[in-house]
Amino acid sequence: MNSPFEDVLILDLTWDLGRYVGRLFGDLGARVVRIEPPGGLPDRRAAKSADATQREPAVYEFEFLNAGKDCLTLELDAQHGRDAFAALAREAKVILVERGGPLYDDVSWIREHAPSAVVTSVSPYGRTGPWADAEANDLTLQAAGGIAWLSGRVTDAPLRLPGVQATMITGVYAATATSLALYDTLATGRGHEVDVSAQECIAHSLQNSIQMWDFERKVSMRGGEGTRDASEDMFACRDGLVFLAAPRSLGVSWNALVGWIEETGHDAAQELTKDRWADRVWRLTAEAKAIFRQTLESFTRDYTQEELTREALKRKIVMGPVAKVAEVLDDPQLRHRGYFEAVELALAGARVDFPGAPYRLSEPVWRLKRAVAGAEQPQPA
Amino acid sequence: MKPDFLKGIRFTDLTWAGAGPFGTKVFSDFGAEVLKIESTTRLDSVRTAGPYKDGVFGLNRSGYFASRNTGKKSISLNLKSEEGKRIVRELVAQSDVVSNNFGPGAMDRFGFSYEALREIKPDIIYLSMPMYGQDGPRADLLGVGMTISAVTSIMWQTAYGPDDPVGPGTHYPDHAANPYHAAFAVLAALAYRRKTGRGMKIDLSQVESTINFVGPAIVEASATGSEPPQIGNRSRSHAPHNVFRARGDDAWVAVAVTDDAQWRALASLMGRDDLAADATLANATGRLAALDRVEKAVADWCAVRTPEEIVSTLREQRIAVAEVAHSRKLIESDPQLAHRRYWQRVQHPEIGAVLLNSPPYLIDGERVELDRPPLLGEHTRDVLGNLLGMSAKQLDELDDQGVFS
Repeated sequence: MNSPFEDVLILDLTWDLGRYVGRLFGDLGARVVRIEPPGGLPDRRAAKSADATQREPAVYEFEFLNAGKDCLTLELDAQHGRDAFAALAREAKVILVERGGPLYDDVSWIREHAPSAVVTSVSPYGRTGPWADAEANDLTLQAAGGIAWLSGRVTDAPLRLPGVQATMITGVYAATATSLALYDTLATGRGHEVDVSAQECIAHSLQNSIQMWDFERKVSMRGGEGTRDASEDMFACRDGLVFLAAPRSLGVSWNALVGWIEETGHDAAQELTKDRWADRVWRLTAEAKAIFRQTLESFTRDYTQEELTREALKRKIVMGPVAKVAEVLDDPQLRHRGYFEAVELALAGARVDFPGAPYRLSEPVWRLKRAVAGAEQPQPA
Repeated sequence: MKPDFLKGIRFTDLTWAGAGPFGTKVFSDFGAEVLKIESTTRLDSVRTAGPYKDGVFGLNRSGYFASRNTGKKSISLNLKSEEGKRIVRELVAQSDVVSNNFGPGAMDRFGFSYEALREIKPDIIYLSMPMYGQDGPRADLLGVGMTISAVTSIMWQTAYGPDDPVGPGTHYPDHAANPYHAAFAVLAALAYRRKTGRGMKIDLSQVESTINFVGPAIVEASATGSEPPQIGNRSRSHAPHNVFRARGDDAWVAVAVTDDAQWRALASLMGRDDLAADATLANATGRLAALDRVEKAVADWCAVRTPEEIVSTLREQRIAVAEVAHSRKLIESDPQLAHRRYWQRVQHPEIGAVLLNSPPYLIDGERVELDRPPLLGEHTRDVLGNLLGMSAKQLDELDDQGVFS
């Protein structure tokens, strides 16, 4: 009884959008058991594929999203498999199902055997409605949920966010909803059914664009076109890119930046101290953006990311390095805090620096275990 | 439904701006009493961030604020005053959770460190969510949501192709990773306290939290020693898989073919039996090797059709497809969201009906009904009177002293 979910058994039948839910609970003590058919769920099959095109990046997604989960192979099409599942379901507090995976269409049957559990369904569009059966994947969900529209250049196509963001967004919302329901279930004995739509989760994460339409009849455009200040962007420096934010609404950042440039005697100060930079509306224009980029980069190209970050810290400028993926592993702040966990991967065959906890808790209850390689044999009921 | 799952749980909520209030909103939506501590001397920056109803500025008119603060109670307190700080401590003494998203050291300067508040309420759950953590060489780096995208590689990875990053168009980490990791952690802490009687401190570095959202790429870079490719809307495992221009003004569709049968079906319905019969394109490896040819065929086909035509045709063939929707489409013409009654309008005394996203799930088949966001300081007297037992005379005196400013 020394971690939040230590006495909670979770049966996890998810294979894509729902996988992060069990991961989050498992790290905080729940026993999470992936129930898989012989041959594995689709994510395991992809992760173990002999074809490198199919295996990568699926294998890294599998390692990350299934860390800490146990695995049990059950033939749910056969009576003995159903019996074994029913026996487990009677002990489970949470059962996670996903469209396209086992038992998604058998929630009533699951609830007969687990009336006091939380049964969470994860699906692209939810259980009901005209698109309930529509095919979907990360790209099409980012499109249907409205988030792809918001990124990219206005002169080019909308751009999705990288990796498996539909899975990550859906995962945190579904985990939170499941935990809310579980809190009630453990207090009252009432079971609950949670129906999570990935499209709705994504549409819930669109900054202020819903209210922009509702209140001002403006469609938020990709890249912040027409709304983002000239200073809010990436700029080249000597060894890469930095991200800066110094709009007039962040006056401290702007003043510190211009003050530093003036201090160095660089020519860029002559431009940036002109009155026009006090005009918030002009700063949104393409003209201002072009002038600002040329002017600022004439200054920042003399400095490395590290030097610029050091000055940002000292002078309270909102500016930091644009890190490549591998550079995150060398981030001095993360190294100082001992963020990464050393993990021997189950399928990918390497010892890696694995992302640490999303939150540090003063009680020692978060624990990372690697994913299970799998191929376990069916267990007797 | 108006869920009462968290009835009896009280927050003293010092979070402001985007990520913090979005996380604590989860609790007010589920029956907890969330006391939002605000001040006219240090306004929540989202109250002064648009959009405003009818484009007219006002502290109670921001739609952005409304969407992050449903169901909360607003208490206006000047925390520069000793009385204001004392009242916060009294509220904490009667709270289960105290939450903040200030930078490192700010809570200590108020006298609200975990250690200090634990003396007042031994089992308090203390959520802190600074950008880069409480300690370390970059702990004091100032940032916004996009800064978090930058240092976590999300900005670099959000790219059209190699060395062509553009980054997310929003302060993305503020809208999913950080508020919801925070909410999940607080729920876990509540579960833990119910079992053990013990509270805890949650130190959520928003950078560390967000890195988990690109966890697979981090694991890959560490495993291989090389940088995962910047692939934009494409896939490393499937083709065609991209966003294509459709007929219409700035109209786009996302198309993702994820198996060989879908490819054959797509090629046929595009009238390209030559592609369907081409053995070199029969599997994903072959199509990825001939990406320009494959994508050109899809692009040509999409360019002369409306998004609606494309979506209905490809869905019949069980191919993943969607129009790239913007806010207006989601609100006014998305049949799925409409069918599931996703949008709610909540009445507000100053700005009328406010359109809000429902929590993105049904519970027991029902929508969670939202309560309106509070006016600035709306509940100050009620809460201090009823919860702390202050008399009208005491409240008037505090008001006169500027404590409620």
